Amino acid sequence: MDYILSALKDAINLILSLDPEVSNVVGTSLKLSLTSTFLAALFGIPLGIIVSKIDFKGKYFLNTVLNTLLSLPTVVLGLFVYSIISRRGVLGEWGLLFTIRGIIIGQVLLIIPIVVALVRNAIHDIDEKMYKTAMSLGATDSQKFRLLISEARYGIIGALITSFGRVIGEVGVSMMIGGNIKGFTRTITTAIAMETNKGRFGFALALGIILLSISFIINFILYFFQSGESK
Amino acid sequence: MKNIILEANNIKKCYDKEHVLNIENIKIYEAAFNFLIGPNGSGKTTLLNILSMVDTDFKGDIIYRGQKVKKDKVDALKLRRKFSLIWQNTYLFKGTIAKKIELPLKLRQVKTKEIEKKVKNIAKELEISHLLKKSHNELSGGERQKASIARALITNPEILFIDEPNNSLDYESAKYFNNLFSKLIDEGITILLITHDLYQIEHYANYITLLDQGKVIKTGLYEEMDI
Repeated sequence: MDYILSALKDAINLILSLDPEVSNVVGTSLKLSLTSTFLAALFGIPLGIIVSKIDFKGKYFLNTVLNTLLSLPTVVLGLFVYSIISRRGVLGEWGLLFTIRGIIIGQVLLIIPIVVALVRNAIHDIDEKMYKTAMSLGATDSQKFRLLISEARYGIIGALITSFGRVIGEVGVSMMIGGNIKGFTRTITTAIAMETNKGRFGFALALGIILLSISFIINFILYFFQSGESK
Repeated sequence: MKNIILEANNIKKCYDKEHVLNIENIKIYEAAFNFLIGPNGSGKTTLLNILSMVDTDFKGDIIYRGQKVKKDKVDALKLRRKFSLIWQNTYLFKGTIAKKIELPLKLRQVKTKEIEKKVKNIAKELEISHLLKKSHNELSGGERQKASIARALITNPEILFIDEPNNSLDYESAKYFNNLFSKLIDEGITILLITHDLYQIEHYANYITLLDQGKVIKTGLYEEMDI
């Protein structure tokens, strides 16, 4: 018990003193997660709208693949991306392995299915009556599209927040692609795994508390947007 | 006999190669209460969507004030902007009631000050000023209907298309809306209304068209009809 209390005391001291090592790891994680979520949104939102609103051959198959990818283990994705960007891989010459850019590629691939699936559901949930009503109110085609996005906005924002939550808490991609290099590609989750093994329990606990706090804030914001859905 | 504001000739509409509508002719009279009645599945709502140009995927001609209307996007939009529609359980967009009411004016790019003035006026007229800052979840069925009517009237439409407005409304609310519609007709607005409400037909109808299985069975002045 003393061991846990002492580790907790260390952890709180590290957080309150804004320890540079802790700050660096948290900063890297936030930077990575925000960039990955932004890039996934760029591709995922339009794709989600297309999958929801446009009928095409193979749509059923694509939706099944998307749903399957929602539960893709991060280590499997890490292995896949590793095989592509490692020295012997197709993109080996680009030198992406053990870099921030490499991790971002992996994380974007991890959360694109989440963004697409949740945006698809958000758009799909908009009542068909919305289009007819928008037309009857005198909306042009582009105004109808803007109204659609506006009506689905809480769902779309929710998709991005969920994706950010998934990516900041993942460990497989960051570990396999990033290599957990101190001050460079070390993220909150990879640092927790390593520091616990090294016996720096207080340091790992400090990062754990921060990750849990971020997760709480994400869920708080998500709940706020979900409750806005019904207004 | 009043002037004809809208007419449809040889309207044919198919779903999955099956004819759901086959209308030789239907006339809508200006500044009058035009009723569209018939059993469920007779094609009333389909016809209403076509007459209001919300649905342009049909065969036949729509004539507005004596001029044949083209079905291309620009002309259909121009005509739609002269009309307003109220469906049963109308879709009310997210946001406050004020936001919902002002939407048609925003889509027409009306200036903000003018929008504010018009919203204020219509809310006062329909006695819903106290609801403007609320969301539609906080409203009763009658209040929601008032909000959708405010949204429909804010553009001063020439024709108001209404699909079963009194469904699920209590007696007092239904009476209020019937009186409101009569007042609008006195002000020169044309109304085309779908209903099953016999009281409403008996007390308010000027012209009636009876549909069955996608065809006009009877049409004309209410007094001259035997229904």
